[in-house]
Amino acid sequence: MDQLLPPEIVEAGQTFPAALAACGDLDALLRLKGAFVGREASYATRLMELLKIAPKEQKRELGAAINGLKQQWEEGLKARQAELEATKRKLGALAAAWDPALPPPQPPCGALHPLNRLMDRLVDVFRPMGFHVEEGPEVETEAHNFDGLNIPEDHPAKASSDTFYLAAHPELLLRTHTSPVQVRTLLRVAPELAARGGIRFLAPGRVYRKDEIDPTHSPMFHQVEGMLVGHGIGMQHLKGTLEYALRALFGPDTEIRLRPSYFPFVEPGCEVDVSCPLCGAKGCRVCKGSGWVEILGAGLIHPNVLAYAGIDPNEWSGWAFGMGVERMAMMLSQTPDLRLFFENDQRFLKAMGGLD
Amino acid sequence: MWIERKVLAQEIPAAAALDTRQLCETLAALGFPVDGVATLEGTESLDVDITANRGDAMSHRGIARELAAKLQQPLAPIATGAVSEGEALVPVRLEAEACPIYATAVLELGEGITPEAVQSFLRALEASPKRLPAVDASNELLLRYGHPTHAFDADAIRGAVSVRWAKAGETLATLDGVTRTLTECDLVIADEAGPIALAGVMGGDGTKVTEATRRVLLESAWFEPKVVRATARRHSLHTDASHRFGRGADPAMARVARDLLVARLQAWCQAKLIGAWTAGAVPAPSAPVELGLALLARVAGEAVPLAAAQEALSRLGCVVTAAGDRLCVVPPTWRHDLAIAEDLAEEVLRLRGYEHIPSVLPPMEGPPEHLAPGYLLRQRVARRLAHLGFHQTVTYGFVSPEADALFAGPDNPAAGRTLANPLGYEYSVLRASLLPSLKATAEQNLRQGSRQVQLFELAPTYRSTPAGPREQVTLAAVWGGLLGGEDYLSPARAVLEADLAGLARDLELPGLPTIHRLADGLFGFEIELDALPRPQDRIIPVFRPFSRFPAVERDLSLLVDLGQSYAALHQAMGAALPADSLLELRCVDVFRHKSLPEGQQAWLLRMRFQADRTLVGDEVDGWVAAALAAAESLGAKLRA
Repeated sequence: MDQLLPPEIVEAGQTFPAALAACGDLDALLRLKGAFVGREASYATRLMELLKIAPKEQKRELGAAINGLKQQWEEGLKARQAELEATKRKLGALAAAWDPALPPPQPPCGALHPLNRLMDRLVDVFRPMGFHVEEGPEVETEAHNFDGLNIPEDHPAKASSDTFYLAAHPELLLRTHTSPVQVRTLLRVAPELAARGGIRFLAPGRVYRKDEIDPTHSPMFHQVEGMLVGHGIGMQHLKGTLEYALRALFGPDTEIRLRPSYFPFVEPGCEVDVSCPLCGAKGCRVCKGSGWVEILGAGLIHPNVLAYAGIDPNEWSGWAFGMGVERMAMMLSQTPDLRLFFENDQRFLKAMGGLD
Repeated sequence: MWIERKVLAQEIPAAAALDTRQLCETLAALGFPVDGVATLEGTESLDVDITANRGDAMSHRGIARELAAKLQQPLAPIATGAVSEGEALVPVRLEAEACPIYATAVLELGEGITPEAVQSFLRALEASPKRLPAVDASNELLLRYGHPTHAFDADAIRGAVSVRWAKAGETLATLDGVTRTLTECDLVIADEAGPIALAGVMGGDGTKVTEATRRVLLESAWFEPKVVRATARRHSLHTDASHRFGRGADPAMARVARDLLVARLQAWCQAKLIGAWTAGAVPAPSAPVELGLALLARVAGEAVPLAAAQEALSRLGCVVTAAGDRLCVVPPTWRHDLAIAEDLAEEVLRLRGYEHIPSVLPPMEGPPEHLAPGYLLRQRVARRLAHLGFHQTVTYGFVSPEADALFAGPDNPAAGRTLANPLGYEYSVLRASLLPSLKATAEQNLRQGSRQVQLFELAPTYRSTPAGPREQVTLAAVWGGLLGGEDYLSPARAVLEADLAGLARDLELPGLPTIHRLADGLFGFEIELDALPRPQDRIIPVFRPFSRFPAVERDLSLLVDLGQSYAALHQAMGAALPADSLLELRCVDVFRHKSLPEGQQAWLLRMRFQADRTLVGDEVDGWVAAALAAAESLGAKLRA
């Protein structure tokens, strides 16, 4: 039969399966399709022209051969097209698919400073008991920082070796504790104390003492002061409030312990220990095996402090406490070096402060 | 203070039976926590923390007295030899009220040194023995009984001895070899040639006891605490003696300590007592303090029987008489801290144990107060910034003068904000701005390998005023490094000023704050917190109706000169558009490329319109044409 066909077409027909397989995409397939079965200048059109001019007796046989060839080509093209379309769909589906393991865009995440976060937490704990926040300036007068707090005139804390003073204003200093906020607040509310039914507040803030910078000292640190003034307030109320607050902070099984101590602005005075929140009072490195950790100093407000503010200590009484924020933060986090809190490395802030 | 257990047990035999833990707990419950336990010189010693108000407890006897009261066990008697007083061998004149009593004796020293047991006790308590019996005995007495004494070389004293105020300009070479110029506020012991000791602080070098000393004159006195504290502070001379006298010694111990000293010298070096006498007398006790039962019950949280309170105070050495519902209390001579009823209430509670105090929540007497708006604002701003990726810093409030000068205005001189006694030059000025501290912190973070640094601080800054530095709570934020580039969807780019401007808008700052370029690719701004809008009083703002008709959006791509002001263009185009239908007019893209005419850029301006009706295309086309005409009047061209 082949002798009836032009040799180049016979050759093309023989290479057709390989050419079909070599078509990597639909465009290549279309070009191949055009060359073999296209309406113009394709092998198929040339064969049809050949058939037209073929001698009558050959027409039947040639026609059958040409049809067979065309059919073979068209079927091959169709099958290959289906194959290529399926591949394309599959790739399309793969491209559209999402791999959840690929790292996604991360929404930004900063952090509050751990010391601020701890102070905020303390405010949260005391809010339900009716405490609000009082604040005062960091540059204070000697009167507010010392005199109003029953601190004797010749107390060593007043020395320039302990307290920062302003060069141009010798009467001004950087407050050495948050207690001057007590004095300011009591002075302010004294005239309306009866009408408002006493006062209870927290005073968180920065304080300054002339300490060299080392792993356990800083010339600036934070305190939270708490104070309550009312009628008939005694040590039982201090204990009750602190027990509630420290259990809210450290867990319901927390025990507290009051020990006698001395601060000029309270009488009686005490140190307050909590059962070690890190080991559950079993004894560890933090509580030095004792099961207790010292957490704050407190006491009943000294009558002289009330009297200084113009409040009659025979009618009113109250309690106050002061807590070192860094000390508590270091204890809870077991941070080995106080300076980390003031270096503000983002890694430290993110890990220790975070965001609620 | 270190307390040696063996010596403590000599003062209170019952303490010997307590194990170390019991002893430490008992002391802590009394207000004397034990900071450490160590074996020194072969015996166990406790490092007892004694608060400044309890000068009376700063000795083995003092601690023993506390234990005796708590444990209700007897103290060992103080074994003084019988010293009979006689005529004054040297006249002692007390010329200042600050010294009411001065007991003394003169002895002739014999052969012998300080016994080994006493030397070992001194070594254990870190008081190195001198092997001079007169000196060692004085030191031992101080540690054991808490009463400072002094021994002079009697042969170095010229004439009569007086206790008097120094004359201004008088000098004294003290034992530490320093010659000190005295003031009229310094109390001194003087002979006829001048001062021989700073009273209660330190003896003089010229009259000190040496190995050559043959005769000693002993001093066992009492000095006013305030006077001793002032002199110690004035001369920066803090000694064991000034520590005890400054916190209040026991005037009744003056004679006792003198007798103990005499007995020791007699025993240790066969000293011969030549004479002993006392100038002045123990001052009369101060007025009794009253303790009412009502106050005691209020402080204690429950009723305490009068008899129980009376018994407790008596155990502490008080002389107590009951009168109706109150106690009349004369504190013992060693307790200078019992001045008011609350002091006595504390003592009763202390002996009962603070563990017996009930736990009660204080009743509310009035309504709670709100949190202040300024406080709430800071909380809100801090949380917003943290959610936006910023880290809150806490930096020192003082900086170096150079750092301060970077952002302090000319109207805010550093002189008014400078510390008199800074920790160092770099911490000497209360800062006018938070930016220097944040810049340093940001650069440190970048050096440590952070790709991006986002920091903020909320803290006071200071402004010099004639009345002193005025504080204003300030917010500063800094941002630098690379944004994005850490996942397959966010391309990387450097942080720009525009990012800070966006942040300022997010925080609803009024207007755009100055954005400082702190370093290459590091920007920051700062604003006083008072400038921020306060949280609204309303829980929910007043409802403002909004259109439910569809919005129409049109973009105009404009070619403008590189120097074109966006504000001017925005203003001109906005003015040409109907205010009641224009939702928004904003530049959404800036395109700069070499394919554009030189000196020009393309801005893509997006307009969004909405009204209470369906907008018609022709109408919107007219508005857009008007906006284009307005832009063209400023030189802009429609980009082809």
